[in-house]
Amino acid sequence: MMRFLIKRVLQGVFVIFVLETLTFFLVRALPGNPFLGERKLPDHVLEQLNSLYGLDAAAWEQYVRYWKAILLHGDFGPSLVREGVQVSEIIAQAFPVSLLLGSVAMLLAVVVGIPVGMFAAYHRNRLPDTLLMLGAVAGICIPSFVLAPLLGISLGMHVPGLSVAGWDNPLCIVLPSIALGAVNAAYVARLTRSGMLETLSSDFVRTARAKGASPSRILWHHALRSGLLPAVAYLGPAFAALITGSFVVETCFQVPGMGLHFVNATTDRDYFLIQGLVLCYGVLIVLANLSVDILLAWLNPRIRSAE
Amino acid sequence: MRTSNTNHGCSLWQDALQRLLRNRASVLSGIFLILMVLSCFILPLLPCIPNPNATNLEAIAQGSSWQHWLGTDHLGRDMLARVLYGGRISLLVGFAATAVSFILGLFYGMVSGYVGGRMDAWMMRAVDVLFALPFIVVVIVFSLSIEEPCREFTSWVVRYTGWSRDSVAPLLGLVPLFLAIGALGWLTLARIVRTQTLVLREQEYVLAARSLGLGHGSILLRYIAPNLLSPVIVYTTLAVPGIMLTESTLSFIGLGVKAPNSSWGTLIKEGADRMEVAPQLLLYPALFFCLTLLALNFFGDGLRDALDPRSAKD
Repeated sequence: MMRFLIKRVLQGVFVIFVLETLTFFLVRALPGNPFLGERKLPDHVLEQLNSLYGLDAAAWEQYVRYWKAILLHGDFGPSLVREGVQVSEIIAQAFPVSLLLGSVAMLLAVVVGIPVGMFAAYHRNRLPDTLLMLGAVAGICIPSFVLAPLLGISLGMHVPGLSVAGWDNPLCIVLPSIALGAVNAAYVARLTRSGMLETLSSDFVRTARAKGASPSRILWHHALRSGLLPAVAYLGPAFAALITGSFVVETCFQVPGMGLHFVNATTDRDYFLIQGLVLCYGVLIVLANLSVDILLAWLNPRIRSAE
Repeated sequence: MRTSNTNHGCSLWQDALQRLLRNRASVLSGIFLILMVLSCFILPLLPCIPNPNATNLEAIAQGSSWQHWLGTDHLGRDMLARVLYGGRISLLVGFAATAVSFILGLFYGMVSGYVGGRMDAWMMRAVDVLFALPFIVVVIVFSLSIEEPCREFTSWVVRYTGWSRDSVAPLLGLVPLFLAIGALGWLTLARIVRTQTLVLREQEYVLAARSLGLGHGSILLRYIAPNLLSPVIVYTTLAVPGIMLTESTLSFIGLGVKAPNSSWGTLIKEGADRMEVAPQLLLYPALFFCLTLLALNFFGDGLRDALDPRSAKD
């Protein structure tokens, strides 16, 4: 187990390194530059700006300098578009917002998805199952960028207290987290259902039934653990889906999180901010995959002994 | 396993087709998809559909009428025409990106599985690393960064073919998008293909082909590739909705399809901005898009159950 963990951590570090290197060079190939405002700047001003931010050096030189600043000083560089603001300040402000929104959405997906899936599996091929699974299919096929405006127009404008945009009171989190969590809830429900069905038809469940265990004991005690495996394995990809969703949902509801900043930074060509945010995403996704692996190993003894 | 048609022979594909036709949901989805593709690509050619870019400031954001079946948008453009043209772009990008990832995944997976050994191990480690990257982030940065080379390619095409720039540029403007989505969407396919190839290359008929002196290239093409088809087709069909979703998400946040083109994603974005005034601008493109996704999912599921009955789930 320990060796497995060390291997995965090293692999994660390598993934982050590759991601950041790719981003660094791709970002510099973007057409346009961060100083294109409403007014075209004179050439000498542009030169001054470039040398001020060290953008006039050769790409590999900038690359080495960038890593040095991060590793030695924890310095992600300045934002090129918002004057006098450090990338680390922006991330420090945006990260908690996105983390809160993402965790609530993920919690929603698990708290809704798993019981729904279990319930549907328990009532297999009867009316509640059919209805719930139709709902899950709808949830998968209605993407967050359709759901978010629909929620805004149906609930946000009529229910007092809920707001359609902004992040100034605690109720602001309700609609964005529903829009973000719905797709994952639908996937989790479907995976839980199929996982539970497979487990419920396996031999050890039949044995448990034969020795007279009650249906609820079979469901909770025997089947749950292995029936949840597919849903848990999905939580890694779910996390990636959460990042994608956050771009949409944060843009839609004007939530000042990392997704909104990333979308704006790519349109503004804010090199350092893009790099900083991508680094952050890389770390997050590696951590998420690692924790899912650990969770899976804990749930499934076969994975544990194989490693 | 084969209960029907035992008396006269029946190939794998005929068998699969029969199983597919028995599945009502996937037949309906298939018909829906054919109709959708036909109406997006052929209907706009007919004179009854107005120009999607013709504005009419005297008929802004109207509801449905005999003249405009789905009403008009905030500039008085006919919504039906816009939704159909948008569908054309969405479907085009979806299928082109799928084709790119299909070719890359098939080639990479076959080579990795067929060569085997250390090369295979390294190639699969590379896939692992790419797999762990946040997909959407890389697609965004990659698609934007290849815009410049693609623009040069457009000028090159214009110069050498003599076609007018206006007719080529909108279509070629989609190239960075589907290249980027396709170039990062092949990883799962490569894994599936590799696993299958590992099994296939140990088969006796491959050995026989080798001993007859056939080259590796021809073996891959003639003996390995055809046997890979069914899992590859299943996976590719199931991948299309995901790819179309990526395209629309990017278009929605303004980083995908750009003017003068519009896809369902950009239409949904335009509708979402004006939904308080005219909800139909959001609802119609959203309905078309969601139904297409639904049909693609059902059709893919049906295809999987038909081609690979063992994996069929209830």
